This record gives sequence, C-alpha cells and structure tokens, in this order.
Amino acid sequence: MKRDDETSALDVAGLTKRFGSYTAVDEVSFSVGRGEIFGFLGPNGAGKTTTIKMLAGLLKPDGGAITICDHQMATDPTACKKLTAYIPDRPYLYEKLTGYEFLQFVASLYSLSREQFGSIEQYLQLFDLLDWQHHLIECYSHGMKQKIIMTAAFMLDCPLIIVDEPMVGLDPKSARIVKELLKNHARKGNSIFLSTHSLEIAEELCDRIGIIVHGELRSLGTLESLRREAQLDNSDLEEIFLELTGADELTAIISALKGDNG
Amino acid sequence: MRLRLLTPFLRTMRNRFFPAGTVPMKSLAVGLFGLLICLVLYLVSLKVVGYFHRQSELGVILSLKIFQMAWIVMFAMLIFSCMVSSVSTLFLSQDNEIIFAAPVTPGEIYFMRYLTTTFYTSWMMAVFSLPVFGAYGKVFQAGVFYWPLLIVCVVATALIASGIGMSLTVVLVRFFPARQTKDIIFYLSLCFGIFIYIIFRLLRPEDLVNPDKYVHFVEYLSSISQPAGPYVPAAWSANLLSLYLMDREIDWLLLALLVVGAPSLFFIGEWAMQRFFLVGYTKSQESFGGFRPFTRTGRYHPGTAQWIFKKESKTFLRDSAEWSQLFMIAALVVVYLYSFKALPVERSPLQTEYVTNLISFLNVGMTGFIITSLAGRFVFPAVGAETAAFWLIQSSPLSVGRFLLYKFLFYLAPFTLLSLLLVVTSDALLKISGPMWWFSVTASLVICWTVVGMAVGFGALYADFKAENRAAALGGMGALLFLFTAMTVVFLIIAGGASPMYHFMRHWMSGREIHLAQRIALLAWFMGSLLLGVLSVGFFWRKGCRSLTG
Repeated sequence: MKRDDETSALDVAGLTKRFGSYTAVDEVSFSVGRGEIFGFLGPNGAGKTTTIKMLAGLLKPDGGAITICDHQMATDPTACKKLTAYIPDRPYLYEKLTGYEFLQFVASLYSLSREQFGSIEQYLQLFDLLDWQHHLIECYSHGMKQKIIMTAAFMLDCPLIIVDEPMVGLDPKSARIVKELLKNHARKGNSIFLSTHSLEIAEELCDRIGIIVHGELRSLGTLESLRREAQLDNSDLEEIFLELTGADELTAIISALKGDNG
Repeated sequence: MRLRLLTPFLRTMRNRFFPAGTVPMKSLAVGLFGLLICLVLYLVSLKVVGYFHRQSELGVILSLKIFQMAWIVMFAMLIFSCMVSSVSTLFLSQDNEIIFAAPVTPGEIYFMRYLTTTFYTSWMMAVFSLPVFGAYGKVFQAGVFYWPLLIVCVVATALIASGIGMSLTVVLVRFFPARQTKDIIFYLSLCFGIFIYIIFRLLRPEDLVNPDKYVHFVEYLSSISQPAGPYVPAAWSANLLSLYLMDREIDWLLLALLVVGAPSLFFIGEWAMQRFFLVGYTKSQESFGGFRPFTRTGRYHPGTAQWIFKKESKTFLRDSAEWSQLFMIAALVVVYLYSFKALPVERSPLQTEYVTNLISFLNVGMTGFIITSLAGRFVFPAVGAETAAFWLIQSSPLSVGRFLLYKFLFYLAPFTLLSLLLVVTSDALLKISGPMWWFSVTASLVICWTVVGMAVGFGALYADFKAENRAAALGGMGALLFLFTAMTVVFLIIAGGASPMYHFMRHWMSGREIHLAQRIALLAWFMGSLLLGVLSVGFFWRKGCRSLTG
C-alpha cells in the first residue's frame, strides 16, 4: 500500500504497536505525499489514536518505521518533530499560562524566530481570540482551548500537520475557518494527516482516505477507488465506510429500530 | 441502595491492587514495604516509650502526655486534611456531573463521599499510628481489651474528624465558592501547621526534661499530668486508652461518646448536605475566576531553556497552593536556625570547639534530610505537574533528556541557595571556620545537587500526570521510594566522610601536622561522594527518560 512517491512527507511501513498480548496497530503501511490531505478513518477502538500518537512521537512503536521528510522517527526523533505540528483531540494545556504565553512557550520549543512568531496575530484574529489572549487558559472554554492549539499549530507552519479530530468543540464559524486553513496549508505544498469520525469532513477535505479496522489498514485510496472496492457506485462515504468496516448488521438494527417506532 | 454509589470506589481499588483477580508483584511489594515501615515504627516507638517508661513515675507521665499530644495533633491534622479533600470530593470531583445528574439524593452522595474521603484522608494515619500506639500497649503490658479498644478509638476518631471536617466544608461552601473555600482552608491549615511548629519550638521542649527549670517538682509534675481537654474527641480516645493502660479500667462514658459521636456527626453532615449542597455546588461551577486579563508579557525571544524556566515560575507563582508553601519553608528555616542559636553548647561537659564541630558535621546530614524532603515536595512532582499537557513536550523537538535537564537547572538554584543558607548560617552561629566549614559547604552542595537530580529522575520515572496538584503526588509509592533512596544516599555520603574528617579535624584542632594519608582519605571521600551522586542521578535519569519515552 506504499505510494511510490519520492516526494512523500510521511512514510509509514509495517507500523505495529502491542499492549501486552493485544495488538492495537498491526503492520500498518501508507504514505502521505506533499501537498496531500490524508484522511484516517475507523470505528472506535480501531487504533487511530494509537497510530497518531506514534506518528507524533508520543508512543514508541513495537515494529515498523516512520519517516517524515526523509528523517527516521526511530533514529532522529528531534528532526521529525521539528517538521511536525500535532493537534490532539483533547485540549490539555498549561492552565496557569495565558493564551499568549502558551504560544510563546510553544514557539520557543520549536525555536521559532521572532518574525515567524508574528504570524499569530492573524490566527488569533481569525479565531476571535485577540481579546482573550492575555487571560489565563483555565478560564477558556473547550472550543477556545482547541482554537489556541490550532493557532499554535498554524503558527509553526510545519511541512506536516497531524490532527486528531480537528472539529471537536469548534463552533461552525471556526470549523469553517479550520477547513480553509487546512486546505490553504496543503495548497502551499504541506501535508496533513487527519483523523476524524466526521465522514463529511473527510469527504470534503481529503485527497485520499485510509480506513483502519481492528488495528489493520482495511482500505486505502481516493474516494473513487474506495467506492469501487466497496462496489457501491454513487454512494457517499458513510455507506462506503459502513460497508468496508463490516457494519452489515447495522441495516438490521436500523430496520428493527424503525419497526419499534412504527 | 446507599452502597451502590460506592461501587466505582470499590471496583477501582480492586482493579488497582488486584488487576484481573490476581495479586501482582507490585501490590505485594507495596504491602511488604508498608509492613516494613510499620515494623520499624513499632520498634522505634517501643524503644522510645520503653525508655520513658523506665524513668520512674515522671517518665510514665511524660510518655502518656506525648500519647495525648499525638492523638490531638493527629485529630487536628485529620480535620484540616479532610476539609481540603472534601472540597474536592464533594464539589469539584469530575464524576459529580454523572452522579448528580442521576436520580440519587444528596444524602446518598454524602454517604459515599463521607466513607471515601474518610478512607483517603485517614488510611495512612490509621496504618502508621497503630504500630506507635501498639508499642504503648506492649510497654505498659496492657490487657487484652487494649487492642479492640485501640481499633475502636482509631476508627471512631477518624470518622469523627471526617464528620466535623465535611459538615464544616458543606456549610462553608454555602457562603464561599468552592475554590475559594479550598484556598481558605488550605491557608488555615498551613497557618495552623506553622503556628504549632513555631510555638512548639519556642516552648523549648528540651526544658521539659530539665526539672531544674521548675522551682518545685510538684508544680512540674502537676503541669504535665493534667488530662487532655474534655471537649476534644481525640482526647476521649487518649484518656480512654491512658486510663486502661494505667489502671486496666474502661471509662464507659468516653467509649459511649466515641461510638455515638461518629454517627451523630454523620447525620448532622447529611442534614447540612441536604440543606446546602445544591447552592454550594452551583457556586462551585460559577467560580472560575481568571476573567482578569494579565499584563502583556515582553516580546517573544527564541530560547527554549528561558521559556521552560518562565513557564515553571509562572505556573508556580500563579497557583496559591504552591507559592503559599514558601511560608512553611520560611518558618522551617527560622526555627531550624533558631535551634542553633538556642543550643546550650556551653553546658556540655566536652570541649566547646569539639562539640560545635561535631554539630556542624551532623548539620550537613540534617540539611541533607531537609533538602530531600523539600525536593520530595517540589522537585519530585515537577514532571507530573506538566499534567496531561505533557503531550506538547513529547511531540515537540525538545528531547526528554534536555527537558529534564532544564527542570533540574530550574530547581538547582533555589535549592543550592537554601542549602547554603542553612549550612553557612548555622556554621556562623556555631562559629565554625577552617576545614569543617569547607567540609560542610562542599558536602552539602554535593548532597543538594545529588538529591535534586535524583528527585527529577524519580519524578520522571513515577510521573503522575493525573495528580490534582503537586502535594497529591507525595502520597504515591514513587515519592516514598525517592525519599527512602535519597536519604540512603545522604546517609552514605555523611557516613563515608565521618572517619576521614574525624582524623583530619583531630590533628587540625590539636595543631599537629596533617599527614598526606589523611588528605588523601578526605579527597577519596570527596571523589567517592561525587561518583555516588553522579551514578545515582545518572541511573534514575536514564530510567526516567526511558519511562517517559515509553
């Protein structure tokens, strides 16, 4: 399933993670090209977050290799992390720092120059955070925390953004802005690895989609190729997803529920 | 029905200590370690109480006075600790939303919180007080009823302390938001601790065993043989057990007060809960504070170390539970140094210079133990204090090793200053100069840096990113292991220096020539201590780094 693409931003080969005797991620391989938005889908507990944590350097794989812009995560994690901005699904932050101080702190971790740091103004404005930037993060709402992390990620302007559930907690306006920012980032030749449960987002944003089930990469390709694989021409991603993840029993459940209501 | 809310607590305990119905090695090790501590406590108490007991009538009365004081101090500590915990468990707990949204009555919630809070705040007191009070039973050769009476007293005192603490908390949160109440109780308990500490020291307890200070012996005897206050529940326990220890008699009134007191206070608390809980809980959700904007910090300058230091200091200074501990340290320093000023070295039958040098030598160890306990409080939890936000460090280009190094450097300066302050000032008060001054400064620096380094390493190895605050991390197994290991290293460094320093000083004080072998022995001790420090720090850092990069 590896793309023979010399310009890959992210290459994953045989990635494996076990917790005791349970294999959470099993020999997963794929690559993400430069300028590509790659969607990563799967049911709950399929191994999405474990995979993402390994890509972001938060978990050590038991097998396989991760290569980010020609740097190996196993041998040169610092270089890999310098090229990657990570947006987790739950916004845990330093509650006793202000939003502005948090951004300064993140910038210092990535050794950003003063000029690069100057870009935060536009993102804070876009996310309506200008008036809140000097307040403690502990008084931010869930969505505001998510937006300050987004600001940090876009401020870093890395060649690869790894994002777990990008729209959780965001209001419709901010969600729209995030989508546009992601598309814009990809247009500049950067890559985005995006995990989501929202099939609409995947359908709208992603160039290619990988579907993981029980730790194994079940399907990988464009929406068109997935349609062909599922033998569901003219179907939307939801139907393809249900077909490919083996949720056949869902039809029976829905029929039964309709029967109950009727 | 009341028991159903206890299910998560009971299951959590079972899953924590007996996962999958087995007894893992870790649980066994924790149990054995606890038993070992109990045994040591029992043996030490046996020796101390036995010593007092052998000192005729006066010793017996003194030992019982200490017995009563122990009960009362323990009781006061339990009330304050229960109040601080119950603000969290009753009003700020994360499972409140699930439980309070369910059709359960406040009384049911109170019952569950009452039992769990009592368990959390008093298990350690119960476990570690039993060997101490058990030693009294052994020394006084108490009858068979002493043991059931002791258990009833410990359990009843803990339940009464919880009853008082929780009832007061429910009423206080009715008037102040939960977070403020927590701070208020915290400051009160801190002030109480500092007050007790300073008063106890300024009373010069060493004079208690010096009857010369009393004009009449009878006056002295009567002043210390007064029974403890009759309105304090802990005194009921103390008096009940004292009477039984002395005369093998059971005061049924005191026993009845203890047995009836606990459920009575529970029902008062339950009533207060039904009456005030909803108002207090509503306030606890409103009191977020922080709507005040902070002044804009200076312009951004690249520099990771600088920003790690800034983040650490801001996080520390903006958390009242953290910076307020500095008062406690200030009190500790004042009392510690006052002790040197008050030392009656001139009354010693030995040569003053010999005594002061010996005290200066032992002072290095004492300073080491103080630094160790403070490192356990502030440095050990520093990695876990990153909380769940640690993902940011893990996913950044900053390596874990370098991150730990910055943490170490951040804490090194204040700990070095404190260590020097304690050693240099006490040396000045003791009028120490010459080789002993250099020895004490050098040894305390080696100890300080080793202990701070080990605290960072252990903190990484046992990082608890879910701990509510730094103080909470102190109750864990990792903190105990750190304290135990660091104190062993401190002891080894001091013990290693004893012989070479003794011979060196003996020659130096008598004005004799110091042999080359003595100089080499001292140098070997210094190099050995340095090596021990480097190896200890290196070993635990490597393990810590490995644990964090998992």
